[in-house]
Amino acid sequence: MSIKTENYTIQIDSISKKFEVAPLFHNLNFSLKTGQSLAVSGFNGSGKSTFLQIMALLQNPTQGKIIYQKEREVIPLEQIYKKIGFLSPLLNPYEELNSLENIDFILRPFYNKGDKETKIDEFLDRFGLFGYKKTLVKNLSSGTRQKLKIILATINNPPYLFLDEPGTNLDKKGKEDIFSYLDLIKKERIIVIASNDPEEINFCEEELTFGARDN
Amino acid sequence: MKIIKTVYVLIPLNIFLALKWAPPVRGLGDLSRILFFHVPWAWVSLLAFLIAALYSLIYLFDKKNKFYSLEKKSYNSAFLGIIFTILTIVSGSCWAKLSWGSFWNWDPRETSIVVLLLIYIAYFSLLSSMPDSEKKHKIGAIYLILAIIIAPFFMFVIPRIYPSLHPDPIINSKKEIFLDNKIKITLAISIVSFTFLYFYLLELINKKKN
Amino acid sequence: MPEIIKNLKKDIKIEFRNRSALNLALAFALISTLTISLIIGGVPLEPKKEAIILWLIIFFSAISSLAYTFIREEEKKTILFLRLNFSAESVYFSKLIFNIFFFFIIQIIVAIFYVFFRQLEIQSLNLFILGLLGGGLALASTITILGAMVAKANGQSSLLAVISFPLLLPVLWMAVSSTTKSLTPNPFSSNPVFYNEIYFLLAFSGIMIAGSFIFFKFIWSSQ
Repeated sequence: MSIKTENYTIQIDSISKKFEVAPLFHNLNFSLKTGQSLAVSGFNGSGKSTFLQIMALLQNPTQGKIIYQKEREVIPLEQIYKKIGFLSPLLNPYEELNSLENIDFILRPFYNKGDKETKIDEFLDRFGLFGYKKTLVKNLSSGTRQKLKIILATINNPPYLFLDEPGTNLDKKGKEDIFSYLDLIKKERIIVIASNDPEEINFCEEELTFGARDN
Repeated sequence: MKIIKTVYVLIPLNIFLALKWAPPVRGLGDLSRILFFHVPWAWVSLLAFLIAALYSLIYLFDKKNKFYSLEKKSYNSAFLGIIFTILTIVSGSCWAKLSWGSFWNWDPRETSIVVLLLIYIAYFSLLSSMPDSEKKHKIGAIYLILAIIIAPFFMFVIPRIYPSLHPDPIINSKKEIFLDNKIKITLAISIVSFTFLYFYLLELINKKKN
Repeated sequence: MPEIIKNLKKDIKIEFRNRSALNLALAFALISTLTISLIIGGVPLEPKKEAIILWLIIFFSAISSLAYTFIREEEKKTILFLRLNFSAESVYFSKLIFNIFFFFIIQIIVAIFYVFFRQLEIQSLNLFILGLLGGGLALASTITILGAMVAKANGQSSLLAVISFPLLLPVLWMAVSSTTKSLTPNPFSSNPVFYNEIYFLLAFSGIMIAGSFIFFKFIWSSQ
């Protein structure tokens, strides 16, 4: 799988968030580029999920801004959503559709139908979901659902990948499947994972801990 | 806005003029002086709505977040608006009872003011169903703007649906009123003074809530 | 454009597999039509009153059936899933088109049952049908945007009824007026002025859709 690696960056500029009066985090500054990965850890309620949502433009920060760039050029806001793959307990596929239909729904157009089917099959196979192709999502176990969510987040090859607790509901094999895939694409993406699981944290190069004094 | 401080002078002056100086409307007695309050109150309820919608529009399209306080100002304006609307309806009913013997008649103007009241009620219901958040202000703002966009349709429809239930006594009596200069002057001053009062109260509420 | 079609297909598929919304909407429409017909009994009413009752039933059917398009997305938490894969415009148009056609189906069924149970004599079928379509279009376009707002609020259809009623008053007035005309014998039915209310309803729908399109993205991206 060789795709020309384009250089993307994300720049976090003085981001703060507070709900009503209580500040969640304050004055975050850093930047990441393609090939880098960041783990965001912290106790429950420290703001990691909120932060990930802010990065995915699903919430607005109280202050500060985020700049997304492709090859040094700023990407306009309306186009960013297409470049982000997001995984979160807050984001669900459609229960009345089966796995294949959900994937097909969000899959970007392909040149021909044959290529599209191959790609879908490849992803389903990699995560062990091939047998669940035609099963309605409401009939899937939570672990299988989680794997489907990962497929949905990654199948369009988004340059930015933000995963909130990717290992939720997964057994050892499931986690292996996911992280071996992430390892494969690590060099071509910017990956941010929110988690308290030491293995997931170790997967990333850098770590940012929320809830610590200087945040 | 220093000129608004003139409200300290204008309102008492207005009350004096309305209650003492200007003559009552011919044939209707002293209670007809309610006109000097009813007309400006009706005007202010509409003005409050327009300003609330305008603030909402600016707030929505303000990308640089320069005008972030406008959403609250829009709410405050609507708050004043609904109060003046209720006052208008009550004073209008008194006038109606006085002029034509019944409190409510469903003529075009009465219907329009009731619709305005409904819009305000809907707006506040909508806001109260959401916790204080960015989406609350945006959604409230959009509702007001949609309401104002639809307003011209109301102006077209209402006279057609409620045409001549009465031989337009309001207009007739207004024509009658306009013959008397003192009444004309008092009315003009009322409108100005209550407009100023509205802006004064709006500033007051805005400052207090900040 | 293909995004709109994708969304439409998805919504139709979901509606087809889990027909709770459609069933509920139809059940409501039928029950209300039947109840009212039974209450009135065999007494024939003048056309204006029949038109008023018909449109009241249609209005409340609209509230109960069209709310779900957005509310369900919020409830099932699929809304963020949509936001990350589709633009606001494509979602808006697909929901709008879906609502319009969904509502037409409900309206036609309501109308058929009402005409049948009340034994109405339609004098001008053209105007009757156009009145239904025009009023339905206006109702659907208004309730789509307001439904999106209520979905972000508390998701209660009673709130939807409260906020849509004031804005829909002109629509109801005009729809009742045109339906009344269509039930009354009228020598001027070939005169274009006869269709004035329809033009009004179309203009209303156009403005509402244009306004919704401009402002939808603010609702869509607010948290």
